[in-house]
Amino acid sequence: MMPWKHKWLVRVVAVLLIVVVGLIYWYDGFAKRKPMDVTVIIKSADASIEFWQVLVDGVNEAAKEFDTRVQVWGARDETDVEGQIALVEKAIKERPDAIVLAATDFDRLVPVANNVVSKGIKLIIVDSGINSNVARSIVSTDNFNAGKEAGRAMLGEIKGPAKIGIISYVKNAASHIDREKGVREVLSNRPGIELLDTYFVEGSEQKAYLKAKEILQEHSDVLGIIGLNEPTSVGAGRAIRELGIGERVKLIGFDSSVNEIKLLDEGVMKATVIQRPFQMGYLSIKTAVEVIKGKKVPKLIDTGSLIITKQNMYEEENQKLLFPFVGS
Amino acid sequence: MSIFSRLRSIQTNMVLAFVILILMTILIMSITSYYLTKDAVTSKAQAYTTELVKQVNYNIKDYVNGMKTMSDLVAGNHTVQQYLSPTGFNSLQEEQQAKIAVSDMLESMLVSRTDIASVNVFGYGGQFVSGRKNLELNPYVDITSMNWYTLAQEAGGKSVISPSHVQPVFKDRYPWVVSLSRELISRDGESKLGVFLVDLNFSVMNDMVKEIRLGQRGYLFIVDSSGKIVYHPQQQLIYSNLKSEMIDKVLEIKNGTFTSDEGNDSRMYTVQESDFGWKIVGVSYVNELVDNQNEVRLSFFILGFICIVIAIIISFFLSQRVSQPIKQLQDYMKEVEKGNFDIHVPVSKTVEIGRLARAFNIMVGKIKELMSQVVLDQEQKRKSEINALQAQINPHFLYNTLDSIVWMAESNKSKEVVLMTSALAKLFRASIGKGEELVAIRTEIEHITNYLMIQKMRYKNKLDYEIEISDTVLDYKTIKIILQPIVENAIYHGIKMKHGPGLIRITAEETESDIYLIVEDNGNGMDEEKLRTLLLSSPKTEEGRGVGVRNVHERLKLYFGPQFGLTYKSTLGVGTTVYIQFPKSLQSLEDSE
Repeated sequence: MMPWKHKWLVRVVAVLLIVVVGLIYWYDGFAKRKPMDVTVIIKSADASIEFWQVLVDGVNEAAKEFDTRVQVWGARDETDVEGQIALVEKAIKERPDAIVLAATDFDRLVPVANNVVSKGIKLIIVDSGINSNVARSIVSTDNFNAGKEAGRAMLGEIKGPAKIGIISYVKNAASHIDREKGVREVLSNRPGIELLDTYFVEGSEQKAYLKAKEILQEHSDVLGIIGLNEPTSVGAGRAIRELGIGERVKLIGFDSSVNEIKLLDEGVMKATVIQRPFQMGYLSIKTAVEVIKGKKVPKLIDTGSLIITKQNMYEEENQKLLFPFVGS
Repeated sequence: MSIFSRLRSIQTNMVLAFVILILMTILIMSITSYYLTKDAVTSKAQAYTTELVKQVNYNIKDYVNGMKTMSDLVAGNHTVQQYLSPTGFNSLQEEQQAKIAVSDMLESMLVSRTDIASVNVFGYGGQFVSGRKNLELNPYVDITSMNWYTLAQEAGGKSVISPSHVQPVFKDRYPWVVSLSRELISRDGESKLGVFLVDLNFSVMNDMVKEIRLGQRGYLFIVDSSGKIVYHPQQQLIYSNLKSEMIDKVLEIKNGTFTSDEGNDSRMYTVQESDFGWKIVGVSYVNELVDNQNEVRLSFFILGFICIVIAIIISFFLSQRVSQPIKQLQDYMKEVEKGNFDIHVPVSKTVEIGRLARAFNIMVGKIKELMSQVVLDQEQKRKSEINALQAQINPHFLYNTLDSIVWMAESNKSKEVVLMTSALAKLFRASIGKGEELVAIRTEIEHITNYLMIQKMRYKNKLDYEIEISDTVLDYKTIKIILQPIVENAIYHGIKMKHGPGLIRITAEETESDIYLIVEDNGNGMDEEKLRTLLLSSPKTEEGRGVGVRNVHERLKLYFGPQFGLTYKSTLGVGTTVYIQFPKSLQSLEDSE
């Protein structure tokens, strides 16, 4: 009789031991779970572009809140598509849990994005998308809508027949394509309004300035210019200011910076459509975290856009957007 | 043993009971102490946060008081009053000098004050003097539309503190500041001179507050008395409704703490009101406060596990202490089942089991007693049977002898009749005896001698006998009347059937342990068949024939054991030899009686 009883005791103790060790391991696994790794690849590492700095602020805020290890990389500038592709490839090698990408090119980043997804890394698109729907979620301004707002702002400014030029920063960025579409949607087929070609300035404010000057000199009757992002708006603004034709030419811009605010203050720029880069950054990380945790996320998250004019620029809510407290 | 029967065992039950008991205890203890620690940690965190918020409040107060002091200095300053007074100056040069004096005064206030963005005086006459000489007014901004300007005018000479905002009034600068503004009124109180503005770099405050983290995610924010956010680390998220702060509730209470009810994300708000209407709020996440709950829980796990192991071991031995004597008892019972009553169960120390063992011992004793009673009864019965067998002999013999006496009396042989009758009387005396079963072989020989004498008288020359018994065997005991039936049988079935005289010879032999009494005759003998059936007890056996012999055989067996009894050897026409075998050992029996 005795031996089986001892065996029984040993067995019970062993089972208990296994259960407890398992519990401790399970518990430990939860207590010391490794923070999630997210790599954010933005369009430009250029510190002078406030938009990206604010977006990175949002990223950092979310990283703190959701206990995520975030690395932020950026291409040299927004035209450096090859550089960005290389960054994505480098990121894939490091195997983060998720990659947040603001694509510099609508088409050329598609293969590498597919590669990201095929490696099991979750892909979130922020600000600018790609011509593929492999991303789990796109966190961005509804750029088409923003373009329409810019178009409407322009409509409000011009009286009578007008020629309107659009200056685009780079050729193949999704955000710019959509904005242009939005602008054209509103302004085309309006009586008295002639839409000029879209001018591309290869990612340079200086070129935007030169191009704007060229247009303004070429078409003495041009009444409206729409800059599709901050450098193009500022470049065009500089041209208008220099030519001293602020009263005659209406400039509608995108985004915000000290230079743009000056232009608004001076009245050279009539309005600017601003996005919420902080929200974009914050929500892209939040969404990435949710995707990693296996939650369902909306395919598209619109962070919205806002028309800022001289009249509403100092309102409390707009201050924080217009004058980002960089480093906060 | 199947699992179910195992579950029914006392031992398993006890172990299970112990484990469940310990588990319950640990569970209750852990839950209680978990909540106790949670409470303790929460109140500690509350105290810590309150202290921190107070500290921040002091620091901010320092800044604000500094600004207030500046405003006091400027408001009461004679130079400023003079410069702004609407009476005007005699010459442009004089005005310029006054302006420089004011500017110098303001500049002196800014020496080594990097926290102050600017100190400015705006006269209602369009005058503008700044402590920072490089500042120019932004031509595109209308100062009079600024909040700080209008609020100062409304306050009528009192200081007004703005929330954090962008100050756009200076050219090319859009700094984030907290403004203190105050309307400047002439000393006589008659005329309003202008507005004084001092801007505190908001980054000072921002730097001070943003580094404060309450736990992993907790933070600090500041609202003014109207609920506008002065500082919030996630201001952008609040404006875009991604986050919400319980500002209404914050405004409701002056100082103190409350906790929002947001489940896992519940936040604890610690509010401190400052003198100038701002509220400094520390926010910490409740679930972070009890962050060490994991360790607490882990230690409970380990502790619980150790307790359970100890409980199992203790309960195992304890239950064994209980079940072991029961098992022992069970083993003893099995012995009893097998028929061994000579056992005594050791009485256990445990009271109940001890009682059981004692009761069991008493029971076994009783059974043993009853069993021996039965054996005794059985023996009694056997004895009475033997008596009955003895009684069975007597009528046969009496019948035969009386037959002889009758025969002699008929022949008028009175002498022989007397002799025979006296021999018969002796015979009976011997056989009835004192009623004892055992007699000495000597007595038995006397008896058979008497018997043979009677028979000799009956058969005259037809019968002869010899008795040769050595003295060594004469004193051994035997059961009485064993020779007579055999001799009787030898006469009636052996010699009587034979032509011519017959001889009966009685001798004795002894071995180590046994004695053989041998009765030989030279009578007719028996065939094989008769020899085989002679000693078999069967009711079919004819009356009178072999009855006595079988009686002797059975009596020997009953009395001495189955290995003893009679052995017949016979040859037809030659004679028969009967061996009566019984053990020697009975000699001492008489001595012990």
